Amino acid sequence: MNKLIQNEMMKLIAKKRLIVIALIIGVLVMLFTYAQYKQVQTQREKLGTSDWRTILQQQIVDTTNRLSSSRMQDEWKKQLQISLKQQQYYLDHDINPAEPGAPTFMRVFLESSIDLFIPLMVMVIASDLVSSEHSLGSIKLLLTRPVKRWKVLLSKYITLCLAISLIIAISGILSYLISGAVFGFKGWGAPILTGFNVTESGLNTSAVKLMSMWRFLLMDFGLVWFVAIVVGSLSFMLSVLIRSTAAGMGVMLAALISGAILTNMVSSWESAKYLFMVNLRLTDYMKGTAPPIEGMNLSFSIIVLFVWWAAALFVSFFVFTKKDVY
Amino acid sequence: MNKNVIRSITVIAVLFCLLWLIGLGSAVGEYYAGKPAKVPETNTVSKKVENKKGLTIVALGDSLTRGTGDETGKGYVGMLLDEIKEKSKRPAQLTNLGINGQTSNQLRKQVQQTEVGRQIQKADIVLVTIGGNDLFRGGQGLTDFKTKEIAAIEKKYLDNLKFTFEQIRKNNREANVFFIGLYNPFIDLDQGKEMSKVVRHWNYDSAEVSAAFPKIIFVPTFDLFELKVSDYLYADKFHPNTKGYRLIAERVASLLTW
Amino acid sequence: MEKKITLAVKNLKKVIGKKEIIKGLTFDLREGEVFGFLGPNGAGKTTTIRMLVGLIKPTSGSIHICGYNLDEHFQEAMMSLGCIVENPELYPYLSGYNNLLHFARMLDGISGERIKEVTELVGLTERIHDKVKTYSLGMRQRLGIAQALLGRPKVLILDEPTNGLDPAGIREMREFIRFLAEDEGLSVLVSSHLLSEIQLLCDRVAIISKGTIIRTDTVQQLLANRERVVWRISPFEKGKQVLSSLTPMEEKEDGTILTEFDEEKIPEWNKQLVEAGVSVIEMNRKMPVLEDLFLELTGGDSIE
Repeated sequence: MNKLIQNEMMKLIAKKRLIVIALIIGVLVMLFTYAQYKQVQTQREKLGTSDWRTILQQQIVDTTNRLSSSRMQDEWKKQLQISLKQQQYYLDHDINPAEPGAPTFMRVFLESSIDLFIPLMVMVIASDLVSSEHSLGSIKLLLTRPVKRWKVLLSKYITLCLAISLIIAISGILSYLISGAVFGFKGWGAPILTGFNVTESGLNTSAVKLMSMWRFLLMDFGLVWFVAIVVGSLSFMLSVLIRSTAAGMGVMLAALISGAILTNMVSSWESAKYLFMVNLRLTDYMKGTAPPIEGMNLSFSIIVLFVWWAAALFVSFFVFTKKDVY
Repeated sequence: MNKNVIRSITVIAVLFCLLWLIGLGSAVGEYYAGKPAKVPETNTVSKKVENKKGLTIVALGDSLTRGTGDETGKGYVGMLLDEIKEKSKRPAQLTNLGINGQTSNQLRKQVQQTEVGRQIQKADIVLVTIGGNDLFRGGQGLTDFKTKEIAAIEKKYLDNLKFTFEQIRKNNREANVFFIGLYNPFIDLDQGKEMSKVVRHWNYDSAEVSAAFPKIIFVPTFDLFELKVSDYLYADKFHPNTKGYRLIAERVASLLTW
Repeated sequence: MEKKITLAVKNLKKVIGKKEIIKGLTFDLREGEVFGFLGPNGAGKTTTIRMLVGLIKPTSGSIHICGYNLDEHFQEAMMSLGCIVENPELYPYLSGYNNLLHFARMLDGISGERIKEVTELVGLTERIHDKVKTYSLGMRQRLGIAQALLGRPKVLILDEPTNGLDPAGIREMREFIRFLAEDEGLSVLVSSHLLSEIQLLCDRVAIISKGTIIRTDTVQQLLANRERVVWRISPFEKGKQVLSSLTPMEEKEDGTILTEFDEEKIPEWNKQLVEAGVSVIEMNRKMPVLEDLFLELTGGDSIE
């Protein structure tokens, strides 16, 4: 098994996909860093201060004013109310929700890339892992060795998991280094609040906990990793089912993008919560924002994703070991 | 491409894989099992007062503070800020805490917030507009201004106002507080005359409350809008327009000393 | 002396959908022999070969490689098998060496020594560390054979091994295959749709058409009585009369006459013709071609 994984790693590295992904992440992080930098600057200019309390207080007042507008959609209103309460909670407890520095940037970057960007990067590798062997024809050589098919597939799957771990690590390290150069590398120990509970009546702060940034980040990374694994497994399944890499990617891309769109409008379609793509924003539960559909929480989403993951793996292995190779 | 390179990349990947697994585990564990450790409440108004560069202005109140009706979005607060910057040649910082539709009761709650208190503490100048929503209630005041109810509303309002001023003074003994009086936007209407009477009375009582505190200055605006009120009102016939705000800003500016 | 059977195929069938693609094949391969698998495109050669190497699961029937049932003891059976199915599609982004390393890792106990050995055997030592995408087709073919030989197989299955090679390459390949069978004692199964190739290379041949083996025999046997002689004679009518009295004959559209090839009788026929005053303009021995063979074996059924 070890040897097989080494084989797969060798091919993965020789294909230089990881380097391409690292480059894409690097460029994106640079863009984000610059955008963030600009935003901080204009905010400072506008408010004439860099005191986070003043800025947060201003944000609270601004949000309150927006809430008083009657033209606002109920959905959006509810979201705003929740974030307003949260901001007020942070302020009341004298905790900066966006401690300046690379760790906060990392957190924001992770939170905003969990449902589309990271899955996309994972997809680049996963969707090609099996189907490229088909399109290359090397599958015929691979499966005519004295090695059981499930072992071949398992070695590929483990390699995928390793590659995903690497991608998450790369995005973490790059976002830390690049943003750190601008915002400073400190802030690992900054306090952050978690455990906000979004209920029908609004935000429940009874279970709120104080946590160090590094722990919060580790948890965020864990959740992002889990999402990446699930999306990776689904692409992997498509890669087994569909011989063409491009077609597999297309299907997965459509699913991911539809998820991003659906999240914004499924609140009235309740059964949509069983779709994997509306359950990708796991980090939001840690942060405490309103879920796209009422009744969704972390365990619900994790279970839904887990079921999709298990199904994807089962289908992959079942089909791969049984199917005739032409 | 070296064999060892591949091997070490694999090892690194395995380590990260474990690390993320730990992260996932702790996320799920923390979300459910973690006991809510007490989050320290910090209601004490902040310890350190930062070094100030220039003037700090805090504006409290309702839509007038917000600047509703001004196309430029500045309102009298913004215009005043520009003027202060220009005249004093010093940087000035504004914290606008005005909330549309705020009543005296809501303001009473707002000034009790820790952070608002801290903002007031830093201020050199505090600007307040309040009462319009208590009295007019979005136009409802037009129909029932004669009833006895208005007396009860005013009593409540004056009580809130007093409390608000006390709170401001508690946080900041030094700052000049300018309390902007009400004008009568309905002066041209049929019941304008009677309404004006109510507003004058309201203003008088407000001025009385202000006078009880040191350095709280009541700034009348009733006279500014008395003639040609429609020239100075926004399309909603309630909030001032840019010209109207300018009038208020100029009046406050004339009172400033430095 | 009967040689050991290395590959035994019994009543192999494959049904896809409702269509029976392979309708019960039975044949054996013996140690040290080159076995030809001859049939037109679409006859079921590739499907059969893919079943032999485990890529396609047979609907029924059994395949034994060196005594191991492929279905039940996949690993043990595959241990004794080396193969190239169609073109050897190796990883173009890896070097030749890494390709071999890759496949060596999938076998038990293959040392770096063995990789070197097969590299030398196929004569790729100089270029082995270059990326495969820089290789010519012939080099890729040789690398493909190298990977097939890595595990010291007893049975080698090559699907159209000379496809796409130039004449020199074809010759080289042919010699190499003969060498493997004769000197190394391998059983080699070669599929082809070219009779000439099979004829030069194989000891025994199975002819397959529409999913059934029409005939299995040694090459000599198969080709016997399959050669023809083309006659061009003048005057035509008279010559025809003479020839038809001697042997069954066939009149062609281009004004020639076809008779069977019989080394002993041809001079006699020629003499008869000349004696009858017919001049023989051309007398040509025609090598048998697959198409004719098929037409004959399948009773005029056209090749699909």
